[in-house]
Amino acid sequence: MSSRRNNIISSVREQIPALSQKMSGKPLIYLDNAATTQKPRQVLDFLSDTFVWRNANVHRAMYELSDRSTEAYEDARETVRSFLNAPFRENVIFTSGTTASINLVAYSFCKKFVGKGDVIVIEADSHHSNIVPWQLAAERVGAMVRVLPTDVLTGSGRSGALDLESLDSLLTPEVRILALTQISNITGLNNPVGKIIAAAHAKGIPVLVDGAQGIVHSKVDVRKMDCDFYAFSAHKIYGATGVGVLYGKKEYLEAMPPYMGGGDMVETVTYQKTTYAPLPLKFEAGTPNFTGAAALKPAIEFAQWLATGETAQALKQEEEDIKSFMTDYLTSDRGIELYGTPSSSARGVGLDVKAPIFTFNIKSINAGDLAQLLDKMGVAVRSGLMCAEPLLNSFGATSALRASFAPYNTLEEAKIFTECLERARAMLF
Amino acid sequence: MTVKETQQQIVEEFSVFEDWMDKYQYIIDLGKSMPVIDEAKKTEENLIKGCQSRVWLSCSQEDGKLYFSADSDAIITKGIISLLIRVYNGHTPQEILDSDVEFIDRIGLRSNLSPTRANGLVSMLKQIKLYALAFKEIQEEQSKEPQEKTYPVEEVQKNVIRALKQVYDPEIPVNIYDLGLVYEIKVGDDGNVYIKMTMTSPTCPLADDVVNDVNNAVSEAPGVAGVQIELTFEPEWDESRMTEEARLELGLM
Repeated sequence: MSSRRNNIISSVREQIPALSQKMSGKPLIYLDNAATTQKPRQVLDFLSDTFVWRNANVHRAMYELSDRSTEAYEDARETVRSFLNAPFRENVIFTSGTTASINLVAYSFCKKFVGKGDVIVIEADSHHSNIVPWQLAAERVGAMVRVLPTDVLTGSGRSGALDLESLDSLLTPEVRILALTQISNITGLNNPVGKIIAAAHAKGIPVLVDGAQGIVHSKVDVRKMDCDFYAFSAHKIYGATGVGVLYGKKEYLEAMPPYMGGGDMVETVTYQKTTYAPLPLKFEAGTPNFTGAAALKPAIEFAQWLATGETAQALKQEEEDIKSFMTDYLTSDRGIELYGTPSSSARGVGLDVKAPIFTFNIKSINAGDLAQLLDKMGVAVRSGLMCAEPLLNSFGATSALRASFAPYNTLEEAKIFTECLERARAMLF
Repeated sequence: MTVKETQQQIVEEFSVFEDWMDKYQYIIDLGKSMPVIDEAKKTEENLIKGCQSRVWLSCSQEDGKLYFSADSDAIITKGIISLLIRVYNGHTPQEILDSDVEFIDRIGLRSNLSPTRANGLVSMLKQIKLYALAFKEIQEEQSKEPQEKTYPVEEVQKNVIRALKQVYDPEIPVNIYDLGLVYEIKVGDDGNVYIKMTMTSPTCPLADDVVNDVNNAVSEAPGVAGVQIELTFEPEWDESRMTEEARLELGLM
């Protein structure tokens, strides 16, 4: 490995204070990035500055402090718009997170466009946040939920990839919306959303894409992808918690009724009747998390810096090395089962379509036990169901261990992780 | 050994380990050496809520003392339960309820468990105390009832009648007492009962069955020590011996 690459990675890591702390006396190896990412100094400073220099409620008052606040908030909206390559600022709605974004669509879209006997199609590899809101919506309007299966469910494989052969027969005339997951938070597999969207659009079915993991591990262009809705959380892309984005095509957002009522989402209010504010404020009732939302600007700028030039090249190479190393380690041992196998034999699923998210079990060892011992060695990984119970169950697992890498993680960390894992495994065996 | 003494012993055992990994290894070894629990005890009912890993805990009573058995799919959790069981096994419900768990804090277990696991520990402790509370109530209930309760004759008489009303003539859907088949009930101070009764007809083929039923029902009645039944057809039974309710029941009124 070139020292040039090492220097670049070090300079990235130096931007993120959380990465240099110790846990149980050992250097922290943070591998729970699918849950949330650590924050760069520019985001932390921006947040702190916002509370001092730009702290006033947005879109309301006539004084300068409020103007600054509104400007920062709308600047962030513009940053998101350009980052996603959305056509208009009206396409970008701030929410409290991916979950809130999906709930908004599940409520408002279904209220307007989905009725009794209609069908909503979801994905078998989705996070609970892209399953439960649709079940609730279906219950409200009397619709049914159908599931686009993985190869595990159809019995055609064990890779965890979607079984696209059933897509055409699933998309019947009763289907009103299709809720996709760009990258599974368990398998890390990058679903062929473009292809699925094209198939859905050919039948006039709009598509929502859950980009909670996709926003970090892929370059998102909503116009190229042609999704009708795209949802992601700021905190998974180096931003603040409690902030999310919903991108939506105007034709749908304009037709959909408001999700919540309150301040800022109205045009005029009488006690009898209210007319709503134009997009995007129609869907931003109440005081938004304007401090957190504003910080999406430096967060996205940081992500863009990581994805540019020499830095991008170095991180990309490191990620490829991490993926090969981890995949070799996890698939060469018969005592380990990896969920989401990137093998070329598995229906065209290769390493290039797998994000560095590795969920697995070591035979007859409890994942929680492993996570607990790893914690004592300074390694932070997740254990449990990772909010994707049906998917894990389909693999025959009731819990699992997940190591999810961010662009700032190193191959060295991956190696230490596997060494610690072997040590924990020996203790528990 | 008291609950306190066992805890002290555990604290001393753990004090030899300086490194936390060694403490964990010890807990893991405890978990591995724990006796295997009967699969039948791994029920939904015995599953403790609030633990990240699945934990089953069951409790039994012997000579007023409680004994616990447990299992978990996580070995570290199992090791910790084995410590809890060691502390509490063989103690009365009251001793368990009165005790404080100090060893967990003293060996630093609580602060070194992940918060989700620490909650599990709290849930396990709570379940142990709940078992103690339940068994304490059962024990108190039992001690309230003296082993040899004496019944006044009038009460036994009532109990016998209640028992007789549970016995039915095989051919008529009315109990034998309301039918008027019972001519005499005598209850002795010693709890011995003498019953004189008849059948609806001297040729009743099921007479033996009815007498057997009466014998079984009356013997079970509280306060009854023994039963003696005499079958008579003198005087012969007729419909006038039925109670009004019985006649109503049969549509004879």
